[in-house]
Amino acid sequence: MDHGSLAGRIFRGVALALILVFFMFPIVWILLMSFQTNEQILRIPPRILFEPTLANYEALISGQLRTAAGNLEISFMHNLWNSFVLSSLAVVLALVLGVPAAYAFARYKFKLGETIAFTLLSFRFAPPLLVLLPLSLYYQELGLNDTYVGIVWVYQLIALPLILWIVRGYFEDISPDIEHAYRLAGHSWREAFTHIAVPLAGPGIAAAALLSFIFCWNNFVFALILASADKQPVTVGALAFVTASGIQYGQIAAAIVLSVMPTLLLALYAQRYLVEGLSLGAVKG
Amino acid sequence: MGMLELRHIDKTYRSRGKPPVHAVRSLDMEVGKGEIVALLGSSGCGKTSTLRMIAGFESVTSGTIALQGRRIDHLAPARRKVAMAFEGYSLYPPLTVRENIAFALKSQQIARSEMSRRVEAVARLVEIEGILESFPRAISGGQQQRVSLARALVRDADLYLLDEPMGQLEPQLRAVLRGRIKNLLAERGMTAIFVTHDQTEASALADRIAVMEDGVLQQFASERELKNQPANLFVASFIGEPPMNLLETDVSRCDGGFRLSMSREVAFEIRGDALDRVVQKTLEETASVRIGIRPQKIAVGTGEVRVRILSNQWLGDQSHVAVECGGKLLIAVTPSRVAARPGDNIQFGLDPRHIHIFGADGTCIRHAEVS
Amino acid sequence: MARLELKQVRKTFGGASSADGVSLTVEPGEIVAVFGPSGGGKTVLLRMIAGMFEPDEGDILVGGRSIVGAAPERRGVGMAFQNFALFPHMSARDNIASGLRAKTAKEAATRIDAISRLLKIEHVLGHLPRELSNGQKQRTALARALIGNPEVLLLDDPLRNVDAKLRYEMRLELPNLLRRGAASVLYVTQDYREAMAIADRIAVLMDGHVEQIAAPEEIYSRPASVAVARLFGDPSINLAEVTPCNEHGALVAAVAGAKVRLGANGGTATDRPCWLGVRPEDLALSRTASEDAIPARILAITPMHEKSVLLLRLADGTEWFVALPPDAPHGAADDAVFVRFLPEAALLFDRATGLRVGLPHHRQAA
Repeated sequence: MDHGSLAGRIFRGVALALILVFFMFPIVWILLMSFQTNEQILRIPPRILFEPTLANYEALISGQLRTAAGNLEISFMHNLWNSFVLSSLAVVLALVLGVPAAYAFARYKFKLGETIAFTLLSFRFAPPLLVLLPLSLYYQELGLNDTYVGIVWVYQLIALPLILWIVRGYFEDISPDIEHAYRLAGHSWREAFTHIAVPLAGPGIAAAALLSFIFCWNNFVFALILASADKQPVTVGALAFVTASGIQYGQIAAAIVLSVMPTLLLALYAQRYLVEGLSLGAVKG
Repeated sequence: MGMLELRHIDKTYRSRGKPPVHAVRSLDMEVGKGEIVALLGSSGCGKTSTLRMIAGFESVTSGTIALQGRRIDHLAPARRKVAMAFEGYSLYPPLTVRENIAFALKSQQIARSEMSRRVEAVARLVEIEGILESFPRAISGGQQQRVSLARALVRDADLYLLDEPMGQLEPQLRAVLRGRIKNLLAERGMTAIFVTHDQTEASALADRIAVMEDGVLQQFASERELKNQPANLFVASFIGEPPMNLLETDVSRCDGGFRLSMSREVAFEIRGDALDRVVQKTLEETASVRIGIRPQKIAVGTGEVRVRILSNQWLGDQSHVAVECGGKLLIAVTPSRVAARPGDNIQFGLDPRHIHIFGADGTCIRHAEVS
Repeated sequence: MARLELKQVRKTFGGASSADGVSLTVEPGEIVAVFGPSGGGKTVLLRMIAGMFEPDEGDILVGGRSIVGAAPERRGVGMAFQNFALFPHMSARDNIASGLRAKTAKEAATRIDAISRLLKIEHVLGHLPRELSNGQKQRTALARALIGNPEVLLLDDPLRNVDAKLRYEMRLELPNLLRRGAASVLYVTQDYREAMAIADRIAVLMDGHVEQIAAPEEIYSRPASVAVARLFGDPSINLAEVTPCNEHGALVAAVAGAKVRLGANGGTATDRPCWLGVRPEDLALSRTASEDAIPARILAITPMHEKSVLLLRLADGTEWFVALPPDAPHGAADDAVFVRFLPEAALLFDRATGLRVGLPHHRQAA
């Protein structure tokens, strides 16, 4: 049904356009910046029209950063690879631990069950900086500082609560009778879990995995303290653009575009699952 | 002139990315003052859309609705003078049961004493007088449904609309409430339309039943007429419990009429002069025809056909006997207990006067002669 | 095949008793319906047998061996669920096949073909559950429960979610289907007609205990208590408070100003406060008054189940139903009428205990 007059429709259109501009501006501006040289970016007033350059991307991919103070080696592509490895391993680990745990929380009422589930979630509430100091001391003792294992271990703490709470909601939505039926048909509970529960919660597990991947990817503080240059993810690696001769805005913008691209593409691809997974988690959590 | 008139009502739901759904098609209906009408059909037949259009929660795509001669299809629901009981109950959670029922009367400027007298009277009727001070969340689904019903019935309205009014009630109470509500509506001359998918409910409560399927009104008549003179195959098979036996028969001519054979042994002979011209012509031109016979119209234990029993179920007040007759399944219902077991043979009496004949398009071309 | 026995099974959930000493036996090839009001503990009972909960006390035996504590998959139990519980990501064929273990592909295919032909679903075997109609879903679920030839077959209100016409068809077909494998069948339902149609015996479960277990006819005509009597029959049995007395060797009672004769079966009912129960179909209407006819007024006529059902208000305000054959003359709403019944049709229940008066003692104990 069509509500409202022509004026109403125009008003709605204008309002939508305003909102769109408001939210999209930073993203679009960064995209534009990534195709400009530092001089073009810093001129006042800024211009929308400019001659695009791919120099920023070239510098990032070749690893040669030319600044006024001379040539600088950066390892952006390596950082990108680090981000990918760290986040993927953390998510896989969190899935292995979190999905069975989520199933247990959804299906079995046990003593302190809710308390444990909530404690796991509360890891997300703690300010990372507060955790970091003791953690880095322990890590030094244990020799985990500046290792992939150490960072992945911390990263899975980011992923686990998310996976636990979102997937739990999905498991709770599956009628227990479906699993009972499978068991009565002569299958063990392990088979019921792998053949019935996991496939049926598939979309939820995918959504949770994606979301936690994005959260891991975007993490900064843990990696900053715990990782040295060759283990750094992009978020930390971006600091290299703050050079002695000034901030390389163009390269930073290009770096942002490159580092956002994988997660953005993933998110767009799985948009439906993500929204579903999030809202479910919100309602059930 | 009717109390409520629906003229050429169409309702089409359009949602983006999906084909439009034609929920109600060219519906014409007239409801008299004081009449109780049931809209009966399976889910998706358009009955609820119709009710919601009358209430004003849905707009009509085309057509007009008039209540007491005044057009209401463009009015807001509150200005139509209709009272409604919702299937989902829709009680106000922060109000007690008493306040919920009285809420409908607030706008009517009635004295307090009169208001509480009316609330208590309707509460007694639906047996909720013990929970008047409770809150909706503290009472069962069945009780909530009765509160919702009471809230609709307590009002003064030109028309009462009830959506599945008794679906959640326990069967013992349901039968009593049907009787009491029918009595109340009749005593006060209230006009009511209710939606149900349960034909027992429809026949118990309604004066006339509108059978709908696929958005089309199939037949609008009394329960008796729907049973004895169904308009078409759909109504014939939908109304009646158990449903009418429908059988394919071969048509042949015989001395002075037609012979409709279920098998070599079982056949109905109908005298030609008992049929009107159109039916005669149809039978002459076709080799096979579908016939129907109500399970209650089959004589069990007497008669000329010998059949084998497949199942015999005694329900306390009636026997349901399923038999194989000429290679087909026939069901008979009789109020007396039949002492026979599956596998036994039994006599069946099939009277040709009790059969309905359906044309190729499904319309009933010849009804059973009412005994 | 094996007999199913429940011995003094008890189960409590958070202080509320769901099964309070339930004992019953189902012979191989027998269908026992578990019927009762919702909340009576029917589903919990079934789930204890299936192994979803364990009883707090008591024992469950299949073929003489206890299955308490055994994993569900080792109990030899097949079950059909009210909500079908089909595996949504598997085709109908795979759903049914899940009930077959360790069979060669060829043998499995033969068995699946046979059972699906029997249940008339062979044309939809390739469909996913969401592509099936409710009736087909229900038949698929039944096929899955039946295919493994379980020793015990549990059906949890399997016809609840199918439409009236299909429910009726299944009511006719089910007894033969269920008896095929000679399993011990426990059938939960909320519809007394379904219970009467399908079962060899009915166990009436109320407040966690078996109020009566007997053949359908027996329960209908000789209910153990007033609560059982009210559950069977639609419309339900008419009740009136009476204190019968002995008059010239016959039992009589006053109902709404009339003196009605009661059957000789209630000899011990004399001078005891009782409920008088008369089924609606056992009442007759007339226009003429007499000493034993109860004066009443017709409140409304509500045709039901191919009968004319009249709601009456007796002279003392009690509401009674009368069920007459559809063609019988019955008058109109607001008419004054008189109600009679035969003494044999009267059932008497003790008002203090609710139990039927004149029962042999061993049946009261059940």
